[in-house]
Amino acid sequence: MPTAGLKTIIALSFVLAIGFLLVILSCALYKVYYPLLVVATYVLAPIPNWIASRCANPDDFVESSGNGVLDLGRFCTGFLVVMGIALPAVLAHSALIGIPAMVMSIIGGLLIYGTIISFGMFFQEEQEF
Amino acid sequence: MEEDRLFKFRRPAWLNSAWARSAGVYSAGALFSLAFYILMDAAVWSGSALNGSDVHVTFVDWLPLIFSSLGMLIINSVEKARLSADSFSYSGSGVAWKARVVLFLGFAALAGGMAGGVTVFVLKFVVPNVGWPMMGMGVENVVANGLVMLSSVVLWVSQNMEDEYSYNLSL
Repeated sequence: MPTAGLKTIIALSFVLAIGFLLVILSCALYKVYYPLLVVATYVLAPIPNWIASRCANPDDFVESSGNGVLDLGRFCTGFLVVMGIALPAVLAHSALIGIPAMVMSIIGGLLIYGTIISFGMFFQEEQEF
Repeated sequence: MEEDRLFKFRRPAWLNSAWARSAGVYSAGALFSLAFYILMDAAVWSGSALNGSDVHVTFVDWLPLIFSSLGMLIINSVEKARLSADSFSYSGSGVAWKARVVLFLGFAALAGGMAGGVTVFVLKFVVPNVGWPMMGMGVENVVANGLVMLSSVVLWVSQNMEDEYSYNLSL
């Protein structure tokens, strides 16, 4: 795990800003504000995983009952990640938003989610003992 | 250990890592999400301006997916260790038999959801000879139920990795 320096923070915030720019642009350019839901989805996506990893102790081999909670969190995270891609596709298929808006909101959403994930990965080191 | 395996075929060795296990659970969630949003797509498309016909997605179209999801929930709630070991516990004797009955109910709900999806597709879309862009709503119903089945298979397999993984580490 590389140590998180100042450059990492700057690069991550830059990518996050580009992601938000793309999503907001996909809304404001066409005056249809449905793709903003993508941001909410990707912000919510890591939360089940975090909650589940607090509830369960994966290093505990004697009591394996905590693994179910962990799996539920992973399942919900997988659900929400695909939801962020599927939501613009559903909207575009029904002609509620245009195809360019769909492409922009999917790319922007993936950038936002990638930022959140890599932020979690880079700064996990400090929380552990 | 060899005779009370749930699988007939041996899994490859790379499947027994923690990485493959969590990837399996993630992809099960992804497949379930795909199934839900494919049916959601049918419903949204049915209500949008693109749908010129008077065929619409109603509650009947959602019912197969509800049954499939219920079956998936039941199947994956059964603890896998209960299926092979017929131990005496506080819930009485014959625990494996009871677990298998519950598992059978789950599989019946899953297969019933799939059959219901095909039934809706045939009765609502094929027999009245609905034109092609409207036919997509019925096809999406069948695909969504198939994806729920696939998702529960993936979840089942990745939950079965758990035992040997923890066994390997505790040695």
